[in-house]
Amino acid sequence: MVAEQVGASASEQKKQGPASGRDGPGLSILVGKAKEVIQQAIADPITYLANWGRTYSLWPVHLETACCSIEFGAVSGPRFDAERFGVLEAFGSLRQCDLIVVHGTVTRKMAPRLRMIYDQMPEPKWVIAMGACSITGGVYFDSYNVLPGVDQVVPVDVYVPGCPPRPEMLVDAFILLQDKIRNSNIR
Amino acid sequence: MAESATGTDVPSREQSISSEFSQFGEKAKVAFTKKNRLKVMVRREDLVDIATFVRQKLMFDHCTNVTGTDFPKEKELEITYHFGSTDGAGLRGMILSLACRVPSGDPTLPSLISIFPSADYHERETAEMIGAIFTGHPKLGRFMLPEDWSDIPPMLKAYRLPGRLEAE
Repeated sequence: MVAEQVGASASEQKKQGPASGRDGPGLSILVGKAKEVIQQAIADPITYLANWGRTYSLWPVHLETACCSIEFGAVSGPRFDAERFGVLEAFGSLRQCDLIVVHGTVTRKMAPRLRMIYDQMPEPKWVIAMGACSITGGVYFDSYNVLPGVDQVVPVDVYVPGCPPRPEMLVDAFILLQDKIRNSNIR
Repeated sequence: MAESATGTDVPSREQSISSEFSQFGEKAKVAFTKKNRLKVMVRREDLVDIATFVRQKLMFDHCTNVTGTDFPKEKELEITYHFGSTDGAGLRGMILSLACRVPSGDPTLPSLISIFPSADYHERETAEMIGAIFTGHPKLGRFMLPEDWSDIPPMLKAYRLPGRLEAE
């Protein structure tokens, strides 16, 4: 009931036109972003187009290493929908992916296999290290078999702390990664 | 009901099982008797006989776990077998432990895989993690540790993480 009322009032605002005083800061941000987009598109259209395509279709590999993968499953679910960011896990093989999210603990036995999977992905590719165990070894820092940090085998772009991180934090990580890609040069 | 060392009442089930071990005399020494827990110390020469007795007469048919403890001062390893029962309603919730001390220089003891087949993987894990050698086991060797593990078994007290500074 409340949602319907809010939705109705928002659409009423839109019908009144952009000059109405109620839109305020939202409108100026929208105009600022539109200006940025047009500047980039005119200055370097190939880069802009390539980055636009890469940003909004990040496909992750199904590499569930440890318990953080449950949170990743929650992010892929209907409540914290990851597919609205382009991050969908429905594909054929890892040769079609460009994102690898390392969920959790990586043991010394798993580390060469992780590197093998990372090497098989085609460029460009990005890595998100999710959870305390993949950043520094987490709770198992002193273990004889746990790699203290996955950035010893793969180059990490975004670190997501937490044990496990809330699904909203992982969504924030996707947005950070999208910002990084949008502002990068293509090779 | 009898009294245990801590003064609490020991239920009669554990007491009766504990008294069954008295027929072995010196070969089996009851270490403690508590509610749902019973620990018996045996020697490695008598391990197979007592394990057969546990399976056939006491009706414990499930080897739940095999663990090892390192006692560096006495230079011994204590290998403990934990048994539970899957069928007897009278033995519900009870875990019987057989503990066997072997010297660290010669950590061999007979494998109980022919009597309790469920001890298979647990014996492999104990052999890899603490260095015990179970004679008669068909497949001891590199199991869970990485293939290029070249250090001492990691569950020994003398194990040190490589590259760490130790506080003196």
